[in-house]
Amino acid sequence: MSTREIFDGRLQAALLLVPTVLVSVVFLYYPTARAFRTSFFKAGFGRAEEFVGLENYATLLTNSSYHSSVALSVLFAALVVAGVIVVSLYVTFLIHEVDSGQDWYLISVIWPYALPPAVAALVFLFVLHPTLGVLTGPIEAVGIDLDWFNDGPQAFVVVVLAAIWKQIGYNVIFMIAAMNNVPNALTETAEIDGVGRFRRLVSVYVPIMTPTLFFLVIINTIYAFFGTFAFVDLLTSGGPSNATNILIFDLYREAFSYFNFGVASTKSVVLFLVVAVLMVIQFRLTEEYSYYGA
Amino acid sequence: MTTITLRNLRKEFDDVVAVNGLDLTVRDGEFLVVVGPSGCGKSTTLRLLAGLETATDGEIRMDDRDVTHTEPKDRNVAMVFQNYALYPHMTGRRNITFGMNATDSFADEEIDRRVAEAAETLDITDLLDRKPQAMSGGERQRVALGRAIVRDPDAFLMDEPLSNLDAKLRIQMRAELTRLHAELGTTTVYVTHDQTEAMTLGERVVVMDDGRIQQVDPPQALYDFPTNRFVAEFIGDPAMNMIDVAVEDGVAVHDGFRIPLPSGKTVDGTDGEWLDGTEAEALADPDAGDRPTAVLGIRPEDLYPARDRPDLGETTFDATVEVTEPLGDSLLVHCSVGDATFKMGAEPRSSLEPGGTVSVTYDPARLHLFAPETGEAFYHSATAPAPAGRIDATTND
Amino acid sequence: MTDTIQYAKRRFEAVKRSIVGDRDEESTLLAGREGNAGVHLQLWFLVTLVVFPIFIAVVVSTKQQGIVTSLPDLIPGTYAVENYREAIVDYGFGRFMWNSLLMSVVVVVGKLVISVLAAVAIVYYRVPYKDLVFLFVLFTLLLPVPIRFVPLFQLINDLGWGNSLLAITVPYLASATTVFILRQHFLSIPTSIVETAKLDGVGPVAFTLRVLIPMSRGVLVGVSIIMFVYAWNQYLWPLVIIDSEANQVAQVGLQLLQGDVQGGQLSWSLVMAGSVLTLLPPLALMILFRKPLLETFAIQQK
Repeated sequence: MSTREIFDGRLQAALLLVPTVLVSVVFLYYPTARAFRTSFFKAGFGRAEEFVGLENYATLLTNSSYHSSVALSVLFAALVVAGVIVVSLYVTFLIHEVDSGQDWYLISVIWPYALPPAVAALVFLFVLHPTLGVLTGPIEAVGIDLDWFNDGPQAFVVVVLAAIWKQIGYNVIFMIAAMNNVPNALTETAEIDGVGRFRRLVSVYVPIMTPTLFFLVIINTIYAFFGTFAFVDLLTSGGPSNATNILIFDLYREAFSYFNFGVASTKSVVLFLVVAVLMVIQFRLTEEYSYYGA
Repeated sequence: MTTITLRNLRKEFDDVVAVNGLDLTVRDGEFLVVVGPSGCGKSTTLRLLAGLETATDGEIRMDDRDVTHTEPKDRNVAMVFQNYALYPHMTGRRNITFGMNATDSFADEEIDRRVAEAAETLDITDLLDRKPQAMSGGERQRVALGRAIVRDPDAFLMDEPLSNLDAKLRIQMRAELTRLHAELGTTTVYVTHDQTEAMTLGERVVVMDDGRIQQVDPPQALYDFPTNRFVAEFIGDPAMNMIDVAVEDGVAVHDGFRIPLPSGKTVDGTDGEWLDGTEAEALADPDAGDRPTAVLGIRPEDLYPARDRPDLGETTFDATVEVTEPLGDSLLVHCSVGDATFKMGAEPRSSLEPGGTVSVTYDPARLHLFAPETGEAFYHSATAPAPAGRIDATTND
Repeated sequence: MTDTIQYAKRRFEAVKRSIVGDRDEESTLLAGREGNAGVHLQLWFLVTLVVFPIFIAVVVSTKQQGIVTSLPDLIPGTYAVENYREAIVDYGFGRFMWNSLLMSVVVVVGKLVISVLAAVAIVYYRVPYKDLVFLFVLFTLLLPVPIRFVPLFQLINDLGWGNSLLAITVPYLASATTVFILRQHFLSIPTSIVETAKLDGVGPVAFTLRVLIPMSRGVLVGVSIIMFVYAWNQYLWPLVIIDSEANQVAQVGLQLLQGDVQGGQLSWSLVMAGSVLTLLPPLALMILFRKPLLETFAIQQK
């Protein structure tokens, strides 16, 4: 029954906790509470707030462009998460299997962790620029008319690709750690049994890495919903004709283009529910599958 | 030079009683070993002594100071941990002096002098400028010992300090600890789960189980006169054979053998009073009807193939050899007789084949009887005088 | 023009061949045979994909005209110094970088200090309700900037902090992630070391400064990098709360450059120069300190 709790001073402990708690309350909890409150008001710059009850929520429920924004975000998140996981898993496996230069390969694929989304967006914008882009020629050569400044679905794909690119590094970091943790004896057993490389990945590594993969699915989902604002803002500004107007960008426009703080707050509350649900799912899954990692 | 007294010491964690009413005196300058299986409360006892845990009830005194609620740093004890607990970022010297600096009560020259002295005693002068990661396990434990002795504490508290060392080094460090204790004479409480370590190191050994002291005695007395089945089976390797018998007219009767019980002694409080088999019979379980029952305890090393020890008398019995395990210096023979099985030490290279029959004899001076229900010993056949110190040891005053 | 397309066609054929070649290698893999050349080839292909856009950015940032549409265009130009100077001095990128640096350093140092304090209290003090406090801090993971930037915008303006360094630092100081990682690390320090300190009568200040921090160097470096990258890469919040160019950070500075290039006032080479500049600090830190960074990530996931 050894213990690390070697100090007793309650006042000291309280003082140590005050800065973190204070900042959390003032800049995290209070604004959240305020968002909840404002979601029941009509509010904006220089206007007196006016209580409107559930009207803002009703608006969102009936607003078809908000519905399409929700659908768009879900599709966006699904594509980004799937893309990131598949590509990262593939790269990780190759690095795990390669016989030399592992460190070099690793650093060459995990660096996008440090890549600022704004930089990623601008570089993508340039490389795929419909008239100037270096890849535009080759792509058009296969018969695709690259016109994503005007073509909604194309713009959507471009944003998805940029978002995937930026997130690969972070995923490989976690996946390589998880894959290296797979007991060597299992790899050797699989090899002795004549299990091919690809099947070893799918039938041995992936099940053992399940907790890490769940963790990454959640992290990537949160990223897709909340971390991709810069991509949309710089690449497409939500267009063309709302084809890339995902929830976070929609919220930004509601607040800072239309200055409807009331409706914007309501949209914040909806996003909060999205995070909450994701976190609960992650928590459940971690509980359920934690025995794998042991 | 300190005497430590524990009175009715009790420690509960939530609803688990870790230490259950301990009464014990650690004598001035004594090397006392506390041994027991994991979870027996031995480490908690040590941590109570150190002040790392607070007693739920009872009292701890060091000489005439009541330290039950004293802060660890004010108890003037030094503790040595199983995993050495050296600060990885500090050199050997810094590790040794860090605690002394923390209390601010030593002058620099005094610290230097003491470090030099401790380093010489432990032969660790070379290690003072190295960090723990550049030391072997044995070297780390020496530095940890250096940290303990440099403060010249009233007592050393050691929590399995040798358990992380390999077998060879452990034996070497055991001798080292004995020498160190002889040199310093500081009261030492040493906790271990290893009964060999307990026997070789302790001037007296406390056997604990289930939060209680089972027996406190010098090592040989513990081995010769265990107070109950737990101690009998815990001390000694391989463990003592336990066979259910009936006691009739001073004879332990089993389907497969009859062993007469010579005059021996009890340990049930009528200490020193000699007893013969007939009286032992009266102490065996009287509720068992015509044939009062008891558990007969004989150590494997006190059983012999009859042909090896003709000197031990004529009482022999036949047993079936089940398995033999050559240990090099002896042959451990697993035997069965009737519904009982037991182990027996035999000469190495004895030609005993599994399935064969062996005639078994025993040392009549090394028989023990235990009550079947309580497990208390009520009879030892040893007729030799008790080792010195034994009689007052059980009452522990 | 036709030449460009011809080239692109050939180039695409080459790319296609290499992809198809890779497929063949993969089928070797499927058969379980050793095919390390194949593994290398696939890795090279993927690494090229991942690095290619930044490679283009670097090349373009050295050219006079930011146009790369043919193979000869991939040869670096000679305008590197000129372009970077222009971006940094004439277009205020030096100022943006400095603001970003200031913001990131303040966030890292502030977060580190208050998170260490909180983690020490949570791990080493025997006080009631501290688990609740920890949960309270952990719960803030549910409250990322995007769900509260609207009310936060109002709050910061109410406080009169608009446009200031305070606005882009203080709201970031409480960090569930940092407290969590530090707590996990502290819990991995053997109890006996902590108890030795207690037996020696080492007080909380000496314990934190002399024992805990020296034993946590790697983790402290690791979380510092994580926090730096996080702070440096912030885009949405500075965009919302900072509206004077003098106080703007590099991320949003890029947006300003982009606006200029859309307006035709600026060549792409300057935008790429700005992008490379913005990428450099976090990238350099990450590569330099990748070992403690990776070790810290390993703690985070537990």
